[in-house]
This record gives sequence, C-alpha cells and structure tokens, in this order.
Amino acid sequence: MKLVLPLALLLSVLLWALAAPSGLPDRFAPEALSLDELLMLYGHMPRGAMALVAGGCLGLSGALLQVVLRNPIADPSTLGISSGAQLALVAVTVLFPGLLGWGRAPVALAGAGAAAALVMGMGALRGFHPVTMVIAGMLVSLFASSLAGALTLAQGQYLFSLVVWTGGSLVQTGWGPVLALALVLALGGGLAALMARPLSVLGLEAESARALGLSVGRVRALAVVLACVLAASVSAAVGLVAFVGLAAPALARALGARRPGQILALAPLTGAVLLSLVDGLVLTAAGYGTEMFPTGAVTGLIGGPLLLWLLPRLRATPPPAPDAHLPRKARPLRRVGLIALATVVLLGLLLMLGRTPDGWSLLDRESLALFLPNRLPRLAGAAAAGGLLALAGAALQRVTANPLASPEVLGVSGGAAIGYAGVLFLAAAPSAVALTSGAALGGALSMAVLTGVVLGRDARPERLLLAGVAVSSLAAALLSILMAAGTMKSFAVLAWLSGSASALTGAGAALLVALLALACAAAVLMARWLTILPLGPEVARALGLPLRGATLCVVALAALATGAATVLVGPLSFVGLMAPHLARRCGLAQAVPHLLGSAALGAALMLAADFGARMASFPYDLPLGLFASLLGTPWLIWLMLRRPT
Amino acid sequence: MTALYTLSDVTLTVPGRTLLHGLDLSLPSGKVTGLIGHNGSGKSTLLKLLSRQTQPTRGSITFAERPLPDWPTRALARHLAYLPQHPPAAEGLSVRELAALGRYPWHGALGRPGSEDRNATDAAIAACGLDGLAARRVDTLSGGEAQRAWLAMLIAQEAGTLLLDEPISALDIAHQVEVLTLVQSLSRARGRSVVVVLHDLNMAARYCDHIVALKSGRLVFEGSPDELMTPDRLHDIYGARMEVMTRADGSPVALPV
Repeated sequence: MKLVLPLALLLSVLLWALAAPSGLPDRFAPEALSLDELLMLYGHMPRGAMALVAGGCLGLSGALLQVVLRNPIADPSTLGISSGAQLALVAVTVLFPGLLGWGRAPVALAGAGAAAALVMGMGALRGFHPVTMVIAGMLVSLFASSLAGALTLAQGQYLFSLVVWTGGSLVQTGWGPVLALALVLALGGGLAALMARPLSVLGLEAESARALGLSVGRVRALAVVLACVLAASVSAAVGLVAFVGLAAPALARALGARRPGQILALAPLTGAVLLSLVDGLVLTAAGYGTEMFPTGAVTGLIGGPLLLWLLPRLRATPPPAPDAHLPRKARPLRRVGLIALATVVLLGLLLMLGRTPDGWSLLDRESLALFLPNRLPRLAGAAAAGGLLALAGAALQRVTANPLASPEVLGVSGGAAIGYAGVLFLAAAPSAVALTSGAALGGALSMAVLTGVVLGRDARPERLLLAGVAVSSLAAALLSILMAAGTMKSFAVLAWLSGSASALTGAGAALLVALLALACAAAVLMARWLTILPLGPEVARALGLPLRGATLCVVALAALATGAATVLVGPLSFVGLMAPHLARRCGLAQAVPHLLGSAALGAALMLAADFGARMASFPYDLPLGLFASLLGTPWLIWLMLRRPT
Repeated sequence: MTALYTLSDVTLTVPGRTLLHGLDLSLPSGKVTGLIGHNGSGKSTLLKLLSRQTQPTRGSITFAERPLPDWPTRALARHLAYLPQHPPAAEGLSVRELAALGRYPWHGALGRPGSEDRNATDAAIAACGLDGLAARRVDTLSGGEAQRAWLAMLIAQEAGTLLLDEPISALDIAHQVEVLTLVQSLSRARGRSVVVVLHDLNMAARYCDHIVALKSGRLVFEGSPDELMTPDRLHDIYGARMEVMTRADGSPVALPV
C-alpha cells in the first residue's frame, strides 16, 4: 500500500514527460528558444505544476470540509462551493467584465463564500446531517448552474470560452497563476497545520468538543472559510475541477490515514497526484494537438462512481427532524379540491388573457379560436408537467423522509439530458422523435441504476438519495464534456436544458395530462405505503410492508413522472421540491391530500412560471424551466434557512 | 410450556467483529421474557434478529414452530410486532392514525378497513390510556405519551408476540412503571408473549417472568428472576459487585456495592 502514492506520482510524471513538446530547455532567455522549447517552458511545465498545485488545494479543501463536518462525502463540488465560484465568474464576465480588472480570485471567492454560507446555513439548522448537506449543496449548484446557463444563453458569443473555462481546462500560458496558487496552498497548508489539533477535537461530536473547551463555532467557521478560499482560488485559476476534493481524502483514508491530522496531511498529496495523473491521461489522449476535453470535466466523471462506492461507508444517521409547527387541516380533501379548482380557473384565465402592444386584454371569441390550438397544448402541457414533477417530489420526500428530496436530485433529469445531448451530437440531423427517445432512454438508464441501489443489500433511504446525487453528477460531468465541443449543438442542448413548453404539440400535451391522471391514481393506490414509509425502514418492516417492492414502486412512479415531464419540457425547475412544501404548509399532512395537493399546486406553479416566462420580456419567451427555478429557488432557500422548531 | 422461539447456533458477524457467538436458546411462549446485559452485549442485536429486521450470518431461528425466513411478510407481522429503540418522529400523524397503522398487516395496501380494524384501533387506544389524546398529533406529545402512542400501534396490530427494544429508556420512573405494567398485563390477561430489552436490572426482575442475559454476544444466564438475583450471577453478567436486598414484599433488589 505504501508504494501506491509514489508509483502513481511516477506514472503521472511519465505521462506528462511523454506528452512534452521538447526536452527541458537549458537556457531561459525567451529569444534564444525554439517554439517547442517555448511551449515547454511556458505551457507544458507550468501545466504540470498547475495540476499538482490545484490538486493539492482541492485535496486540502475537501479534507478540511470532511473533517470539520464529520461528513465523508463533503467537498467543494458536493457542497456547491465550486458552482458558486463558477456562477460569480460567469456573471461578472458577462455582465461586468470591467470588474475582472482586479483579478478573478476576489470574484470567485465572493461566489464561493455566498454558496458556502447558504449551504452551511441550511446544514446548521439540521445538525449538519451529511446527506442533507450534500442535497443542499446539490440544490445550490443546480441553481447556480441554471443561472449561469441563463447568462450564457443571453450572451451567446461568450459561449465557447465560458464553457471551456467551466470545464476546468489546465492549459497554461505562463508561470503567474501557478505561483499565485502555490502561495495560496502554502499559506492554507500552514493554517491547516495550526488548526489540526482543534480539528481533531471537533472530530468528536460537537457537544463533546464543546465540553472539552473548544469554541466549536469559531473553529468550524475558520475551517470552512479556509476550504472556500482554497476552492475559490482553484476556480479562479483553472475553473471548475470537480470531485478531486471528494476523492483525495477518500484515497488518503484508503491509504491508511485515520486521524484528522493524518487525513489533512495526506489528502493534499493524494489530490495533487490524482489531478496530475488525470491530466497526464488527458494529455496522452490529446497527443500534441489541441485537447479534446478539459481535465476538470474528466475528474467530474470520477464523482458519480466514487459517491456510489462511498455509499456503504456512510454511517446511518437519522434524517433531520421535520418541522413540527406545520399546520394540519381537519378536512384536507376539501382544501385539495379548492386548490385544484383554483388551478383550473387559473388555466382558463391564462388561456383568455392576452397582452398586446397597448396593454392587457381578455381575448374575444375570434382571437381565442385563433390562439387556442397553440396556447392550449402549451398551458395544459406545462401544468401537467408541473403536476407530475410535484407528485414525484412529494412521493420522494415521503419515501426518504427527507424534506430536501426532489426529482432533480433523483438523477433522472440528468440522465435524460445526457440522452438528449448524446443523440444530438451523434446523429447528423436528429428528428424530434429521435431526440425525445434519446432523452427517454437516458432517463430509463438512470432509473435502472437507482433500481439497482434499491434492490441492493440495504435499501436505506439516504442511500437512495445519494445514489441519485451520484447519477446527477455523473450526468453533469458527461454533459460538460459534450458541451466543451462548443458548437451550435452545445447551444441547442443548453436551450433544451433551460426548459420550454412552447414546442409542445397537442398530442404531447394530451399525453402529459393523461400521465398525470394515471400517476395521481397510482399515488393514491400507494397512499398507505407512503404513510408508513416516512416512519423509516424498521417500522415499515415490522408492519409487514414489502419494503423493497414498495420503495421500488414509489421510485419507479417518481422516475417515470419526472422522466415524462423532463422529456417533453426539459429538465430544470424546482417545482418538484417547492410544491410538496407548499402543500404541507397548506395543512395537508396525510398522504393522499399531500400527494394530490402537491400535484395541483405544482400545476399552478408551473402555469404561473409559464405566464411569467412569456410576459417578463414580452414579446420574447424566456425559457420556462429556467424562469421557474429562478423564481422558486430563492423562496426555497429562504424556507430552508428558517429554523425548524 | 411450548417454545415461542428456538435458536440454534445463531451467529451474527459484521466486518471485523462478531456480535453474537453461536447462540442456542429457546424462549417460552405466553410469558414476558427480559433480555438484559451490559452495553454492547448484543441484546438489541438479538431482538433485531428475532424480529427479522436483520438476518443471522449462521444458524437458524424458528418462530412458532416455523423457520423465521419462511414466514410471508404480512403473515409474520400479524403474529409479531416490533418496536424499535428510537421510534421516529411521526410527522403530521395523529395518535389515532398512528395506532391505525398497526392494522396494515391485516388489511394490506389496498384492503378496506372494516369494523374489526376500527374496534382493534379503539381498543388499543383505550388500553394505552390515550382516549383523550386520540386526535392530538404525535409530534406534539410528551415522551411518555408518544411512547404509549407507539405501543398503541403495536397493540392494534393484535400480534401474539411483542418485541420491545428498551421501551422505557427515555421515560421517567412513573411512566416506566406505567408502560411495564401495561406490557405485563397484556401478557397476563391476553396470553401474549413479550420479549423486552431492558437496561434496568430491577425493572427486569420485577416485571419479567423469564430472563435471558447476554455478555459480549454469548449467553451467560437463562432462568427466572429469582435465580438471577444473586451477587455471583450478577457479577458474571455485569462484571460489577452487586448487593441483593429483599424488599418488604419479598422481591429482590440489586444495588451496586
């Protein structure tokens, strides 16, 4: 085991040397060098160093987060910190390029800090429950990437450079960034060494650490800030390099590090070797020519399988306590009826309401007849998709007993996106049917992975969630590799990802409505399971529930509902997470009213989002899914930041 | 006396550790059996095996003269009710709804609950003294009341055997006595079998008919409470010196020396 690290380092140096354009130059005067020697001195050599230094930073950052949160699956990518940095950089590049004059690091740091503050805030209220933290991180990253996607869509000309940067290319054109990052790593390493002892005490439960006289809050905050600075510096220097921070401490543990001090010392080394090895492979694959895909996207591929591998190692922790103060109505079904009625009225109203250059008006009979064939499928389809996503979300939140579970976290949308993008990139001129089937196939594949997890040895609900996160992150990594090609097709994928109902046909909308009706019926049939499953696997087993079969049925229902909605209107929106919470806040506590009420509210939310998307920049349409998530996420984050009593 | 459970060579290993070492044991039917032992002795683990929450690595368990793995899921739940050590927060459920969940093994996922189910639920709520609280939400109850609500669910299940994992660990003395008296009366009056994991030795001696003691995953004692309550036996089990005194009614109490 002891030889693994040196051998891996040797291999990565070998790969790096094989890809070198020339031997080491023996003189350093630029004017006296050949082109290849210049490339070696100012491109290849700093690149090799950058891989080591960036890997070290990420390894240390991940180790700090894992130690301080006592969470083996924490890292800058799973906690959304890297995505926050990415969003800040994209936003500033597109909107205020002038600000970049002061350097990218402060911008990246601001974004990383904001994301970390959000995720830590949500986690702190829930006892830093490991899986909940990662799901909160996933939500923040999804939101950040949807916002970044919107900005990229709005400013198409920047697309290529932004996407390549986002993917984490290690190409270097000088020594400046490497030296700056090395300085950050040295300072960070020094600080981490100083904090090693308080951090080992924090490795105990927070209460015990407090009893030992440790200022838990201060140490925790300091370690998280340090981890953010390290991750944001890497983001600023080379972009998003995913999951090295997750893998490095895991490798350190596999090599025998147990105590926090050992993990903190070893993780930067394993991170450096890992990134350098991956970069060596990317260089070898690319040959001397241009690189095919950025290194950071390739490390992203590690994330999904790694999370799945870490699943059995995660100790079972009970999910965070639910809110006890939520109201409970005595006659909930009547309220569900009222919500459904209001949704239908809203649908009718939106069918009739029009906006002309002069102002608002209700359509008269003739224009209604003119508009209806276009408008009805769009509105009905959007509403049905919202209902399906909300139903899936409510079912998942019940089966996992985790209020942060949502269809987005299930990975089905991610799989569908990969299928869509795959068909788009592989076929010369794919038809709409081919694209739809591709998306359906991708969603089905993710579902198969989830099914495997459910049928596995121990179907703990949090493992289901984490498996979904793993599938999502794998899909995101594949997608960013595809996008790095930077063609018009990338643009088409981005447009689809941001979701639109405008292309819905009458048949598609009718199919969605029929599916919604079927899914509601299926959910009602499963209502007793969905009442018992939130009480946890032990109680469910003791009551004679067919645990695996029931979980599988609920997951299949959620996945099918998500898949259908995704395939027809694109993957993104937080309706699946929002609507069940809203329903619960309306006092719908029991399974049947909660599920049906969620579906009705989901439909209403999606209608409202569609209206907003059409009117916000009239006469141009904004992407529906994007609009829904931009509206919904801030509310959701506010909800998550409120103290559960 | 017929055997409720027969265990032969039951062993459970997890990576790096053996939790139970080849237990051979039979538990009596129609009695309250107490499982005692030091922390980590394997008593909760044994209860999980008895309730089929986990499967043994080796050996066989027979429940009511039928191998435990052969029982169909719902049929088992009609004969066997299990209360985990830390029942989850029953978010949004009322006491009556929680108790009614105990009827799941009888009506299943789709069956219509009949008058039998309603009567069983009502009787369970009454037996646990929860009549006034039936409409209250479980997550607003005190610890003792919530524990009784969960017991009501178990009773509504109308299983002949109850498996309880430290049902009194979170309760104050008055509620401990109340819950154990209820458990004892279920066995005495209705002939139910109960297997209960207890931390408190004196409570076990007072309320159980039969005691099984484990030490480091091995059986160290099996017999009546009177046989248990001797200083030497208790030293064998807990590794601590205990003094056994006799109360006015003749029952023994043990205290550390």
